[in-house]
Amino acid sequence: MRKAATDEIAPDEGDGPPGAGGPCADAKGAGPRGRGPRPAPAHAAVGARSGIPRRREALTGLAFVAPMLLLFIVFRFGPTLGAAFLSVTDYRLSGEWTFIGAGNYTRLLGDDLFWESLGVTAVYTALYVPMTVALALGTAVLLHRTLWMRGFFRGLFFLPYVTSIVLAAVIWKWIYEVQDGLLNASLRLLGAGPVDFLGSESLVLPSIAAASAWKGFGYSMLILLAGLQSIPREVTEAARIDGASGRQRFCWVTLPLLRPVLFFVLVIEAILGFQVFDAMYVMTAGGPVRASYSLVYFLYDSGFTFFDFGYASAVGLVLFAIVLVFSLIQRRLIGRDAD
Amino acid sequence: MKTGFKRSAVVLALLALSTLAAAGCGDGGAGSGKVTVWMYPVIMDSKANAAYWEGIEKGFEAKEQGVDLRVEHLPWENRDQKLATAFGSGKGPDVVLLGPDQIPQYQATGALRPVDRAIEEARSAFRPNALEAMSQDGRVYAAPIYHTVTSTLYNRKLLAKAGITEPPATWDAVRAAAPRLKQAGASTLDYSASNEASLNMSFYPLLWQAGGRVFADGGGKSAFNSPEGVEALTFLVDLYRSGAVPRSAMNNANLFTDQALGRQQVAMGYTNTPADAALAERAWGKGNVIVGPALTGPGGQVCFGMPGGLGINARSANVQGAEKFIAYMVQPAQIESMGRAGGFFSPRTDVTVPHDSAYAKEYEQALDHAYPGEPNPAARQLMALLSPEIQAALTGKKSPEAALESAASAADELLARQR
Repeated sequence: MRKAATDEIAPDEGDGPPGAGGPCADAKGAGPRGRGPRPAPAHAAVGARSGIPRRREALTGLAFVAPMLLLFIVFRFGPTLGAAFLSVTDYRLSGEWTFIGAGNYTRLLGDDLFWESLGVTAVYTALYVPMTVALALGTAVLLHRTLWMRGFFRGLFFLPYVTSIVLAAVIWKWIYEVQDGLLNASLRLLGAGPVDFLGSESLVLPSIAAASAWKGFGYSMLILLAGLQSIPREVTEAARIDGASGRQRFCWVTLPLLRPVLFFVLVIEAILGFQVFDAMYVMTAGGPVRASYSLVYFLYDSGFTFFDFGYASAVGLVLFAIVLVFSLIQRRLIGRDAD
Repeated sequence: MKTGFKRSAVVLALLALSTLAAAGCGDGGAGSGKVTVWMYPVIMDSKANAAYWEGIEKGFEAKEQGVDLRVEHLPWENRDQKLATAFGSGKGPDVVLLGPDQIPQYQATGALRPVDRAIEEARSAFRPNALEAMSQDGRVYAAPIYHTVTSTLYNRKLLAKAGITEPPATWDAVRAAAPRLKQAGASTLDYSASNEASLNMSFYPLLWQAGGRVFADGGGKSAFNSPEGVEALTFLVDLYRSGAVPRSAMNNANLFTDQALGRQQVAMGYTNTPADAALAERAWGKGNVIVGPALTGPGGQVCFGMPGGLGINARSANVQGAEKFIAYMVQPAQIESMGRAGGFFSPRTDVTVPHDSAYAKEYEQALDHAYPGEPNPAARQLMALLSPEIQAALTGKKSPEAALESAASAADELLARQR
């Protein structure tokens, strides 16, 4: 599901990553999340062809974006409105429905399972985001310093990202296996274990978050790497001449300059964290005892197990609101930085 | 902001998108003679499955001139989701393969049409329990074309290692074997506790063996929190705590080769199919596989086994064609070929499927104890409520009583909503 979700994002939107153009350009070109080429900003074209009447320009511009706009309306805007409509009905399998106003939302507020799944999602995100960003930053810094076979390593680290999440989750399930999984077999050699990674309520979220971080850090790594490369060499050189140690240079020069990119990465990963579903679906089916039962899992169950499409849509809109808040924070923080 | 909007729009769109994706089949025009069938990998080997249904298409079309039969192959995964969205949007195939547990929910929403007319001739020949499993309110909604059965499966090598000569066939024998098997370095009984695993293949057989039931009479209330239910769950939890049911059971989903049983770390399973036995032969060696009778609990000897059958979409545009196809599929020749190809048993008393398998006799015997589950429109939903509570009992978070109690109150709420 998340695969589908990320694929859907493919032909990317206008709001690119912040900071120098470098990070955006690089990441977008390379990302199989599909951050493919996007239309050049309209104002650039306007400036170049000042003789053509404005109206015609606008039409031409519209013609260029029309295919994308149409897809957006049909596959994103439409369904969103559809979900908003469903969320105020009790739409059932038979196709019959009645308008119930805020009924689904008030039911949601009183539903323990909703709060439980929201809690699981929040904890998962709090684990997943630092893991992923730390891993991405670490590898980006290493790659930035390495010249030898940099392209090879960049590709290597990026590889998990282009692997199917379902496939990766199946492999990680084997790795975590309690009886003779790779990890527990290794622990046994050291005389420890066995650790029930996916069967214990306290370990299941960190374990899934680690697998997801392995799978997802490549994208953020590329953005951070591009961010690092866009930091002018003179700045770090100046710091070096002033006698700053490597660690000081990283903490006081590189990191502050990398902040906008870092913020972007944090927000994107947090949004992805809140949408977690497929890793849990494949690895634990939400268990044990709903310890890995995320908000999207709750949405999925409401819709496809309990056929309660109105209720599921209400969950979807709540998720939408959460993601919206994250995006607004991103815009605010990054907008301020860009100024 | 746009980023976030699009991302969440995607999530929100999933319902709508999957509806679109699942719905694009089966709108056979009236009089065109086209009959679409949704079929699943009933024959595990996908090549053999495709070949079998191609043969059926040819055979049927030769017999019924002018009918264009189209068998569409779908995976087992998420079959209810796909079917529900297809039915919900007024699409879907003319004919679809159904299990007994699916019938009440689709019958209740008016998505199915009775098949009584199509099976008129063969009616008296069906096993009564097979026909009953496919019925609702006195009408048959799917014509049985095969019957599945599960039974116990033992690893002879592990039993021998523990010095056990008689495979444990009762709960008491399982309990008694556990310490000896533990000493021999093996677990005793495999289980599938994942929320993905159908309870028909995990907890319910134990419940039935204890003499319990899932639903109270009438189906409006749950009944699994009875003393029998507590006894069944306690039996399971005790085995899990002592290591007789392996830890890995928590994430098992009834996939034999993936599980400790398949990997020769557990001595027995109690819901294993003939296909599992065949896989075990290959993995463990022929001499190491024992198929036994259905497991016996304090309430009796029960195993899970159910018919698979063909139902008709209430909105089919070619009901006559669909009925002709179903009448063709329940004939002895097709029942036999289906059973041979898929390793199934016959839902008809007048047809015996000849099997090459060494265990056919054992499975035929188990068939007498086969119980197809308790039909209820909320059967599948109830599983989603009960599974996590069984996990809670296994991990020790709740006592068996408390776990079943909280599942029962959630289930009764669900059942009340359905009314």
